[in-house]
Amino acid sequence: MTHRQRVQLFLLLTPVTVFLGVFFLIPLGTIAVYSLLTPGLYGGVEWSFYHWNYGRIFGWADGITEVFEPVYLHILLRSLGLAAATVAICLVLCYPVAFWVAGLAPRWRMLFLFLITLPFFASLIVRLYAWLLLLKPSGLLNTVLMGLGVITEPLDILYTPVAVILGMVYIFLPFMFLPLFASIDTLDRSLIEASGDLGARPVQTLLKVVLPMTVPGIVAGGVIVFIPAVGNFIVPDVLGGAKGLMTGNLIEQQFLSSRNWPFGSALAMVIMALVLGVLLVFSNRARRAGGRT
Amino acid sequence: MKTTLICALPFILGAATAHAEETLAIYNWGDYINPEVLTKFTQETGIRVTLDTYSANEEMLAKVQQGGTGYDIVFPSVWMEDIMLKLGLLERTDIDTAADFGNIDPQFQRAKGDPEGHYCLPYAWGTVGIFYNEDVTGPITGWADFFAIPGRTGKKITLLDDMREVLGMGLIMTGAPVNATDPGQIQAAAQYVISHKKDVTAFTYESMPLLVSGDIAAAHYFVGGNMYAVDHPNIKYIIPEEGATMYQEDICVLKDAPNKAAARKFMEFYLTPEIAALNVAQQFNGTPNRPANELTPDFIKSNPNINVQGDTMARLQIFEDLGPALKAYDRAWNAIRTAQ
Repeated sequence: MTHRQRVQLFLLLTPVTVFLGVFFLIPLGTIAVYSLLTPGLYGGVEWSFYHWNYGRIFGWADGITEVFEPVYLHILLRSLGLAAATVAICLVLCYPVAFWVAGLAPRWRMLFLFLITLPFFASLIVRLYAWLLLLKPSGLLNTVLMGLGVITEPLDILYTPVAVILGMVYIFLPFMFLPLFASIDTLDRSLIEASGDLGARPVQTLLKVVLPMTVPGIVAGGVIVFIPAVGNFIVPDVLGGAKGLMTGNLIEQQFLSSRNWPFGSALAMVIMALVLGVLLVFSNRARRAGGRT
Repeated sequence: MKTTLICALPFILGAATAHAEETLAIYNWGDYINPEVLTKFTQETGIRVTLDTYSANEEMLAKVQQGGTGYDIVFPSVWMEDIMLKLGLLERTDIDTAADFGNIDPQFQRAKGDPEGHYCLPYAWGTVGIFYNEDVTGPITGWADFFAIPGRTGKKITLLDDMREVLGMGLIMTGAPVNATDPGQIQAAAQYVISHKKDVTAFTYESMPLLVSGDIAAAHYFVGGNMYAVDHPNIKYIIPEEGATMYQEDICVLKDAPNKAAARKFMEFYLTPEIAALNVAQQFNGTPNRPANELTPDFIKSNPNINVQGDTMARLQIFEDLGPALKAYDRAWNAIRTAQ
């Protein structure tokens, strides 16, 4: 590397390094440190070491200073489950659509890509309240279905797990679609024809040719949907009626009404570790699956 | 976030052009002051007002504790005012020496750390009760009736998504004070709520529109929801016969307030009965300003569940800071939220 190249590289990398250092590493470090401190009586922390925040989650609490309750692990697992379900449904919905859009003439393709990103033009909260209005018993969905005679009684969707899944999938659909599309768009379509010419049935072509070649898109979409989905609590609150506690709510509650910042920090660290673990396993499997081709 | 920026902008500009224009920076709960009150204040004094909002006492405390907020006035709940007094965050104003301070009903000088009113001015108070659609439920009188609605009519009910309010209701129904610190009493309250969870459609703050549209039959909500009842005579509000909670916020000046003189002027301005009544007319809550009660719109003045008097008042309890016992509430609330 010449001196000139080195200077260029330094100048190009400095802004992003400083940005991430200030706005990512420092807050992350603060949370990591806070998670091992004593909660202050009125919020904040007291600067003395306190491992019970983790003991309360994992089971080594002494029952006096802090009490172990399996409920926290249960909530964490449920958040992971909801995120996984969101990823799976988004993938199944997006894959055929991405395939179809990739096959369109460029002019139409641009239109459909624009339509997919259209929801970003309105605030998330506004869109979720729109769903509330759609799903409620006297809402548009029930009015139309009853008007058509499909149902006689309004469907009880609002404030149920079905509404939560609907809302989650709706929010994260574009995040799955765009990386999938990028991956499928670059797929060499002559390989599909070749597979057919060599006698593979369509299902075989899909499973043995198309899917393995679009693994990078599936992984990228899965990761981009999974991570924010784990922490999402607006959808369970607004459409689920806050009846099932999610990790996001639990953490928010520790920083506000329960005034226990260190415990909130510990929960945040644990969920980050769990997400990281899931992603490592997932991406390793995907790499191996991709490597077989 | 956007409102914060927009609101902060004139303040920053104001500071830059020092003395060119006097500014009062108010940090209040969202939708907790009639904008006309602020307009009138500016008209009368020439002091410009900026308004930022918060949605939880703890959010305000965390910000104020960092210092350098630039805010002059905050509106803590009484229990939070006591914490802020202990932490030395509030400025002594001697508002009790103001000419109109006699308008304040002394029973609202609730802060333990400020019984004389040297620091803060009682701002507004209200109750948390039950709104119901009388066409569907018929008349109801309390919590027992409320929880019977789903079984009796097949219609839905909602509770607030609020730890202290929901557990407070549970404590009232199990015969304990709403500030109980005994773990057994807190657990019994949680059990009461859990035993009724199957009848509760949602824990939410967004219940009033659903009540008006007929999607739910009754809701646990603040007295301020009466703004919906004005145009919908079938929507009624009651303070449950078994008892209910009340809240009160006071106007306090921060120790590091940049414009303490303007803050004091605002407190004096708010002592005027017409101004306090103007606020009530839009907020539908109670005022500690005695003469102001006579000046409110008839819908409010004539409703004993909004303009609360003597014996109803005796059924109300106000939250206090729980100190370390808060942890037991946190656990009870998690148990309620996760119960199947």
